[in-house]
Amino acid sequence: MYSLSWLILFLPMAGFLGLAWFGRYIPRSVGGWFACATVGGAFVVTLLQLVQLYAENPADRLNHVLTLYPWIVSEGFSLNVSILVDPLSVFMLLVVTGVGFLIHVYSIGYMHDDPEYLRFFSYMNLFIFAMSLLVLAADFFFLIVGWALVGLASYLLIGFWTDKKSAVLAARKAFVMNVIGDVGMVIAAFMIFEHFGTLNYVEVFKAAPTTFSSNDDGILLITFLLLVGAFAKSAQIPLHTWLPDAMEGPTPVSALIHAATMVTAGVYLIARCNALYMMAPFTMYLIAAVGLLTALFAGSIAMVQYDIKRVIAYSTMSQIGFMFLAVGVGVFSVAMFHLMTHAFFKALLFLGAGSVIHGMAGEQDIRKMGGLRFVMPVTFITFLIAALALSGFPLTAGFFSKEEIIMNAYHAEFGNFVYWGLAVIAVGMTGFYTFRMFFYTFMGNTRSPELRPHESPRVMTAPLMVLAGLSLAGGFLGPWTHDFLSPVFGGAVPVHHEDAMLEIIAVSAALGGIVVAVAIYMTGKGQLAFVKQMLAPLYELLFNKYFFDEIYDFLIVKPVKGIGQFMEERAEKGGIDFSVDEIGRQVREVSRGISMWQSGKVRMYALNMVAGMVTILLFVIFL
Amino acid sequence: MGSEFVLFVSATVFSIGALGFVIRKNPLVMFMSVELMLNAVNFLLVGYSSFLNSLDGQIFALIIMTVAAAEVVVGLAIILTIFRTRHELDVDHINILKG
Amino acid sequence: MMEFLDQLWSLNLDRETVFGLFEQGLVFAIGMTAILASLGVILCATPIYSALYLIVNMMCLALLFLLYNAEFLAAVQVIVYAGAVMILFLFIIALLGAKKEKRDLSFQNLAGLGFVGLLFCELLMSMMVGETKPVEGRVTLEVVQQVGSAKAIGIELFSHHIIPFELASLLLLVAVVGIISLAKFSNKQLRKRTRF
Repeated sequence: MYSLSWLILFLPMAGFLGLAWFGRYIPRSVGGWFACATVGGAFVVTLLQLVQLYAENPADRLNHVLTLYPWIVSEGFSLNVSILVDPLSVFMLLVVTGVGFLIHVYSIGYMHDDPEYLRFFSYMNLFIFAMSLLVLAADFFFLIVGWALVGLASYLLIGFWTDKKSAVLAARKAFVMNVIGDVGMVIAAFMIFEHFGTLNYVEVFKAAPTTFSSNDDGILLITFLLLVGAFAKSAQIPLHTWLPDAMEGPTPVSALIHAATMVTAGVYLIARCNALYMMAPFTMYLIAAVGLLTALFAGSIAMVQYDIKRVIAYSTMSQIGFMFLAVGVGVFSVAMFHLMTHAFFKALLFLGAGSVIHGMAGEQDIRKMGGLRFVMPVTFITFLIAALALSGFPLTAGFFSKEEIIMNAYHAEFGNFVYWGLAVIAVGMTGFYTFRMFFYTFMGNTRSPELRPHESPRVMTAPLMVLAGLSLAGGFLGPWTHDFLSPVFGGAVPVHHEDAMLEIIAVSAALGGIVVAVAIYMTGKGQLAFVKQMLAPLYELLFNKYFFDEIYDFLIVKPVKGIGQFMEERAEKGGIDFSVDEIGRQVREVSRGISMWQSGKVRMYALNMVAGMVTILLFVIFL
Repeated sequence: MGSEFVLFVSATVFSIGALGFVIRKNPLVMFMSVELMLNAVNFLLVGYSSFLNSLDGQIFALIIMTVAAAEVVVGLAIILTIFRTRHELDVDHINILKG
Repeated sequence: MMEFLDQLWSLNLDRETVFGLFEQGLVFAIGMTAILASLGVILCATPIYSALYLIVNMMCLALLFLLYNAEFLAAVQVIVYAGAVMILFLFIIALLGAKKEKRDLSFQNLAGLGFVGLLFCELLMSMMVGETKPVEGRVTLEVVQQVGSAKAIGIELFSHHIIPFELASLLLLVAVVGIISLAKFSNKQLRKRTRF
């Protein structure tokens, strides 16, 4: 059964290539369903792998490496194209292919009127392939290949509407930011090869405890460089600026790549390399600190944004911050659990937002929405469920996962009180911004009747309903997740900390956020203006996203541009171009001189022949 | 007479032929100079064939004569063709070989 | 006259030596004539004289061939060169009209003179190796004299050198085709390319 796992890679790849090559010969509808079918097939194969894993003892579930073929074999280094099937990769793949399948189905409705419908689906299949490669890789090499390929797919999909300038610029920004991370990853891979002599996960993780002692320089550097890649891909401070801009792409893309799967790859990477990270507590502190900072930072920005997708994007950053906090305090399976529930409700939020945008004919500003609860009932209810799950309302999926993170922020090995307190504040923000957006969108009276909002077709609402069910029930998968993933994380099952005091505070923070949102946005306009006036400087700061883009522009973009301009004028035109041109010019001059030799006069040629004969005879006689 | 005489005569005639080919402008005379050079070589071959008691030199000379005959015939035809188009016979005025 | 012969006789020269000396003198004289004739070829301003000098040169060489035991080649030289080729030359000269050529001391001529002088010196250096010692070859003079020069060459040609022989015939065929195409077809193409 493990031998089938290559199909997980092959099916989306076949979909991508098939649509890319033969897309113009097949009808649109067939192509769209074909793309869905490949992803669905990959999901089924992943389920088979899950069944197979369950047939074994927990301890035997690790390290099933399926070698497809040896790629590079040389002295001291060999690289196989191989697949690693273990609970972590199967768990991650279930999320990727499962949510990916739902979003593919949703896209059939959402992208229905797009002229380049099949190009979109071929890119989506490429993304699923790349993500599966990233997850299934059995060594750091193919991890980086997949890592770069998801970056490529993300680039292609953000810039899918190539006639939209902001989308193209956003795609470029995302690509550049991701490349910074890729560089870190590649250097980390080189260092791993230097220290361990192999890139293979199994061998590296086995050798790690004997090669390094805790907090060695080498392991700190490796983990930090891997972390750069993780930060860039998961949009953590300071490499986060691309994610909000990435919302320029089609909404299913935002749901699939920039909420559910790709941006969580950083969490997956750290969980995968837990053997390395557990030996570098300093890096763990860094992860937790950055995660918390991002959670607070993004949450605060989300409170004042008006673009519905940007609000959700900042919320995504904030939630990934929570996941980083979880891995930072050493409870990896809790992070993976939150990754799963987050994939459910955040994909649902995005798809709901997409449904709203679809119904509003492309309008994204929440100030122009409102009152949609009557015209879009399915979207309204599913969106409400997602909003509740996101803010951690009791008994929804988000409640369980987030509660575990907050508990572990205090009780876990690396946890402390500061983490807990800041996390609670971030939870409060989550409740506030989620329901602010929700109230703006669905409650009150309609503000743009001329747009004639309408409910989306069944093919779009069906995935919403499935995801809504998962967002409600996903929380009960927690114990199963911890149990299933425990072999990967050294057999550790996170203890459920019974601390009623902390729990009550956390839940009341979440509910408090919601209540504040109700108080400000549901009881009339007066309070809103009052609050805005009270906190005007803070509001300005948040609305401009802490001026991060401006700071980067001033610190990095402008100097680099200046240097580039200087170099172009001085070094390029005056030096390189000039020397190249001059060589060409001189060659032309010299050959013009030589070409006079070719006078066309036979006697001259004869004379040259005689001269040549004389020279050759000289050599014959005297040498 | 010995081989030095043969060498001397053929070297002299060959050089004179080469000189004629270089300094003359009339293509007919240039061809004659080529004939001189070929004849010089033939003489060398025949003379040495006699010194070395081998007929290979003579056969070589025979084949050179064949080649020379063919070359002269083609060359003269070319000269004739050029003359038909240009009505003059000065190789210095023919420079369509120029690139 | 008789006294001179007596004196020669008194030097005790036998018949062989006298004939040997005579032959050497003859060879030398013919060789010098050939050189002078070739000088005449290149120095005459009128092509017709050049052609006549060339005939002289070829006849001299034919005589030398005879003296170096190559009777067949001597005959071929006279028939092919002095006969056919030179007749062709004379025809062409008659056809195109012979014009005197101006002589000058241009760079071309001076450089040609210099280079050819160098070439001549280099060629003369081959004389420094000295006399060639006769080697015992496959075909000695006696054998040739037994069967006759033409027959000996024929045997040699058809036994050891058949492929060059056939190739030479092919060459002649190609030459024939080339001449026909040059002479027969119009030369508009050529005219078009010519810059006047």
